Amino acid sequence: MDDIDAMFSDLLGEMDLLTQSLGVENEPPNAITSPPEEVNLSPGFTDLNESLYELEDNDLDVLMADLMADLNATELKLAVDIENLKVPPSSSASQPPPATLPPAPQGLSSYDASILPSPVSLQGDVGTPSPSHQSPLPPPQHAKPSMEEIEAQIKADKIKMALEKLKEAKVKKLVVKVLIKDGSSKTLMVDERQNVRDVLDNLFEKTHCDCNVDWSLYETNPDLNLERGFEDHENLVEPLSGWTRDSENKLHFDEREDKYEVFKNPQNYYLWKKDKQTLKDMRDKDKELLIEENFCGTSIKVPDLEGALYLREDGKKSWKQKLFLLRASGIYYAPKGKSKTSRDLVCFVQFDNVNVYYAKDLKSKYKAPTDYCFVLKHPQIQKDSQYIKYLCCDDPWTLNLWVTGIRIAKYGAAFYNNYKTAVKKTSSGSAWANRITSSTGSSPSPAPSPSLSAKHASQANGHATKPQPGPVSQDMGMDAPPPPPPPPPPPPSSGSFPPPPPLQTSSLPPPPPLTHSSLPPPPPLITGSFPPPPPLPHSSLPPPPPLTHSSLPPPPPLTHSSLPPPPPMQTSSLPPRLPPQARLPPKPACRGKQPPGPLPSPLPPPPPMDSLPPPPPPPPFPDDATEAPPDFLPPPPPMTSGPASPPVRPPVVAPPPRASFRGGSRNQSLPPPPPDPEFLPPPPPPISISSGGGGGAPPPPPPPPPSPPSGSSGRKTAPPPPRRTTPVLAGRGGGGGGGGDGEEGNFMSELMKAMNKKRGED
Amino acid sequence: MADWDLSVTVEELGSEAPALSISVTSDLHIGGVILKLVEKTQIKRDWSDHALWWEQKQQWLLRTSWTLEKCEIHADASLVFMPQHKPLRLGLPNGATVRLQACFSGPVFRTLLGICRILNIRHPEELSLLRPLEEKKKKKERDALDEVYDLTEVPLASVSQACLYNGMPAHFADSPQTEAVYRMLSVPQPAPAPELISKQYRAASVVDKAHINSRWLDSSRSLLQQGVQENGRLWLRFKYSTFYNLEPLYDAVRLAQLYEQARWAVLLEDVDCTEEEMMLFGALQYHISKRSLSEPQTVTSNAAMDDLETALLSLEVKLDGDSNTANDMLDNMAAPELSDYLKIFRPKRLTLKGYKQYWFKFQDTGISYFKSKEESVGEPIQQIHLKGCEVAPDVNVAGQKFLIRLLIPAPEGMTEVYLRCENEEQYAHWMAACRLASTGRSLADSSFQSEIQSIRSFLAMQKTHGNSSVPAADDAINPHSLVSPRYQKKYKAKQLTQRILEAYQNVAQLSWNDALLRFLQIWQALPDFGLSYVVVRFKGSRKDEVLGIAPNRLIRIDLGVGDVVRTWRYNNMRQWNVNWDIRQVAIEFDGNVNIAFSCVTADCKIVHEFIGGYIFMSTRTKEQGDALNQELFHKLTGGHEAL
Repeated sequence: MDDIDAMFSDLLGEMDLLTQSLGVENEPPNAITSPPEEVNLSPGFTDLNESLYELEDNDLDVLMADLMADLNATELKLAVDIENLKVPPSSSASQPPPATLPPAPQGLSSYDASILPSPVSLQGDVGTPSPSHQSPLPPPQHAKPSMEEIEAQIKADKIKMALEKLKEAKVKKLVVKVLIKDGSSKTLMVDERQNVRDVLDNLFEKTHCDCNVDWSLYETNPDLNLERGFEDHENLVEPLSGWTRDSENKLHFDEREDKYEVFKNPQNYYLWKKDKQTLKDMRDKDKELLIEENFCGTSIKVPDLEGALYLREDGKKSWKQKLFLLRASGIYYAPKGKSKTSRDLVCFVQFDNVNVYYAKDLKSKYKAPTDYCFVLKHPQIQKDSQYIKYLCCDDPWTLNLWVTGIRIAKYGAAFYNNYKTAVKKTSSGSAWANRITSSTGSSPSPAPSPSLSAKHASQANGHATKPQPGPVSQDMGMDAPPPPPPPPPPPPSSGSFPPPPPLQTSSLPPPPPLTHSSLPPPPPLITGSFPPPPPLPHSSLPPPPPLTHSSLPPPPPLTHSSLPPPPPMQTSSLPPRLPPQARLPPKPACRGKQPPGPLPSPLPPPPPMDSLPPPPPPPPFPDDATEAPPDFLPPPPPMTSGPASPPVRPPVVAPPPRASFRGGSRNQSLPPPPPDPEFLPPPPPPISISSGGGGGAPPPPPPPPPSPPSGSSGRKTAPPPPRRTTPVLAGRGGGGGGGGDGEEGNFMSELMKAMNKKRGED
Repeated sequence: MADWDLSVTVEELGSEAPALSISVTSDLHIGGVILKLVEKTQIKRDWSDHALWWEQKQQWLLRTSWTLEKCEIHADASLVFMPQHKPLRLGLPNGATVRLQACFSGPVFRTLLGICRILNIRHPEELSLLRPLEEKKKKKERDALDEVYDLTEVPLASVSQACLYNGMPAHFADSPQTEAVYRMLSVPQPAPAPELISKQYRAASVVDKAHINSRWLDSSRSLLQQGVQENGRLWLRFKYSTFYNLEPLYDAVRLAQLYEQARWAVLLEDVDCTEEEMMLFGALQYHISKRSLSEPQTVTSNAAMDDLETALLSLEVKLDGDSNTANDMLDNMAAPELSDYLKIFRPKRLTLKGYKQYWFKFQDTGISYFKSKEESVGEPIQQIHLKGCEVAPDVNVAGQKFLIRLLIPAPEGMTEVYLRCENEEQYAHWMAACRLASTGRSLADSSFQSEIQSIRSFLAMQKTHGNSSVPAADDAINPHSLVSPRYQKKYKAKQLTQRILEAYQNVAQLSWNDALLRFLQIWQALPDFGLSYVVVRFKGSRKDEVLGIAPNRLIRIDLGVGDVVRTWRYNNMRQWNVNWDIRQVAIEFDGNVNIAFSCVTADCKIVHEFIGGYIFMSTRTKEQGDALNQELFHKLTGGHEAL
């Protein structure tokens, strides 16, 4: 653990450096600490460390990756903030205000807000990151595309990036700890765009549970003895942001039968007046009909509940019985002496601004007539208050009836849609689980939240909800700045590649050489190397990226093997930063069929290149990276072996391409692949390595590809691999520490080692 | 075979003209009779729509190959030769009357299909025709005379699925007149004057409601058979409360008419609702009529372009257009700000502090305030985040009181804060901003301006409350037009405006279509929705009871108490029979449950049709698309006549 602590402080230092290198502005050191605070729910940075202790190893990797990615993002934001609003860390600023109104919960949002208004100029934003991009552009000369086109594209890209960033900058993220039934817990990062369904999916992968529809995420509030299951369509960050700083509230992941009971046995709710036996004997066909009648029509029907419930009188300790009725528009009661016809009903509460909670033990706490109580309150209310409405039912069944009825009334069609989605997940879930166990893991899903790169990754997986072409570029942008240093390699490549030196350098030093041999057309390489520009180039560049892909596929495996040497370097450097990507990809790739994945890998590389040319560092990292995702998956063994790592990466890389980066044309653009083929031949031996190293990756032995492309003669092998690897790393690194290669590498490798060690101990 | 004379009246010759007499034999088929008849009239015209109607027997002779003998027609028969399609005046759910050509010879169901094709209403099986209320007729006819929309010239579309032209079915695009008719059909009518609502007949009890159901025409028999004359008046209404596959894109008329029917059902308390629901209905009506003024029918919700791609596209277009830098773009994207001096007041128990003035600034979804404008650069005195809060108006235009009441959630409960504005304009802006913020949207949201606009018009509504007569300005709506007479009496216009405004908050963002659909959803979610009542007497019972027929079940209601005594669901139904001789309906349910009843307020054919109709509705599936299984409908609803 000490290691980790040390690492964290290292990390901080690193970030500091990084930000400075970004040239955005010099940031006060405290700025760095602040981001985590924002990110964290209750805890400050120190808390984070604490919570890290509690984490399971598997989670650690993930979390690290997330964190890094996030830090990177926040950093940028902060810089901008500081620039524009000379206000100290925004989070703190917003909270302190004397105000009677507890702004606390809002702290997070306020910080988001500050960013928007800030006059971020396009240049400002784009500028920093773009250096690398821009350089690439010039080269396009090879490409025949007209200058105007390119410019137009560039412009469009910039705008895209700027918009993306603006969007991204506003995304709120939380690190949350989820308690599991067996007493353990999982920690994950949740971002504002994720709904509960997404988070549940993450947890499914992390816990390997059976994925049935009853699994739910619920909060408990010990102050009020409340608990409420989140609905799948709800955004998780929002209710959590309502918790107070010192909140004792907990988030649980568990099976809850009442979650979707109404869809399994609708008769119990809609025909509750009938006798129990009839309900029990209900035919499935009739149940379906009930669902159809009540949920599939133009309007959702609410069970017509009515009955005497006890209401806790405002401020008093007494409970009074009243005749309550549930309608789609709210809960009503019939005043004494009046009929219960609609016009005489008095509205007790409407559901727009309240949620329904199960309340426990109110009998002792508030002298409730029974322990079967529910509560209606605004989600942000966390302490006892006159604005909380307490109702008490005679028996547990009535309680269930009311709570479910209220949920139907409040959520309507969304409720049913959630169920349908959950059922789908269940059916596909088992298959998934199997696949998962075999190789990678869950990491992918969590990743999405953290950083752009994460998103990217998620796309690759296929899950990706948000197809955002932009993200990639952004990543690059952010990462890019730091990387520049490494460029050295270019020279070699230069021979083969006319334009390039600069570009290549930035992207991947090592690879170039290889590429030369393998790649006939220089342009492709370039494109590969420069993520941002790619889109344009692609279009313009005659060399059809797709083709290359096709040709490449087979080779990948080989390449891996062959590459071993180079990979390590790249891996080492990259891993730290783009973890998310790395992980994500793995899934797809790893899972069985994907062997071909490796090939694609070459493509992905481009991004990585930007991010970190550096290299050599710790082989182990790669392994970790790959493993990490799976959480439980395979064992760390490979860690030490440098060679092993290479194999791993390839898989990782590979996925992305396949996964389809729809958004990014880059994939296509990635010319690099060609080299691989040539390269491949040699690899065979390495294969073995691969198997050893990356759990998932191994399979690929396929064939060595025909070295096809244009017959570039001499250049071979070497180059391609690096790229692939790099990408991987990049993916992981998310965070950005691009600054000093050396430092970073060391730091990261140390971190990795530490983690490995820890694992080993376990 | 001996010749004999058959006398036939030909309508074309005028009502005064004597019947023509033609010489026929008993083995002459109907087609031959018509041929002879036409020759004898010596009129050249298109006779293809004409057919023979046998007056004494009240039946059409439509089978041209049948002989006179087979039809049992003898010399004493007096036949009428007339067109099968004649004009009919049809009262629509929106209160307007259209005159159109309807088929008088086919079963009403088929006639209905034709009518709906002309009007472009999908799923005609959900509608039917009924006789208008007699008493009303006299009064109403006076006004009705001028507002008849004529569609008789419209050719009967042969294509079942009308193709759209100019956003309307091709047969409406012929002339400006028909286009106007289409507009009337597809856009909800403006709010009726409050007096109109209170003058309308309202069913006061379940029994009253049951009587309405006695007026439905028999779907299996022709109009003429049921005594409907040329130019007769009928109502077209949605009869079965299951609305299949409502699709704003294709169902402009259907939706508009359905909305009108629902609106009147609510205004006339045909279906019971609570006060809160009534206010929400009022707010939706207000919103819909506003929107239908501003958004012409082609309603594509112009919501904010959330989609990045779209945003980019337009951005790029802009970029190309002027050489402005991206900087400007971003500047434009920055949220507009709102700041001003306002007065704030925090009602706390036992404190009587007055309003204090501060410099307020609206940012994103929150408000900050400062001592003065000059100090607004520094730390605010307080920041209030409005997301998730409740915003309520407290306005009295006459008294120049413009209060915004905020109920802000916090961990310890809700905090109340009042903001006092100086004038309408200020109020409209701040109120709009607060409302947006409460739903998590910032001032940059595209709806900010429209929100301001709608608040202004609400203020205008309050101003005109004085005269309860027809609102002068066309965009001012009398709140009393939006609620049933019960609430017209209960609340003054000012109070009502307040209540409706509160409810309006939750729907203000809806597009026209969404608002329409929301109205229908809320209507359908009412507990009493979709119940058609008939007074019946159960076998073995001595008193009248009410049978409620719903889309999925039958309920037995005790007239005395008004409580539901029993419920039977159709899916448990084994079979149902009608004994046409003793006019009794017998139904058998699973588990050997048998019920039988005779109908008091309506013919048992009507009950039979309701039950059969609902079962038919439940057989509709996505696979069969819009194709209508007429045969099945007749089988299920026809009774003995279908045989």
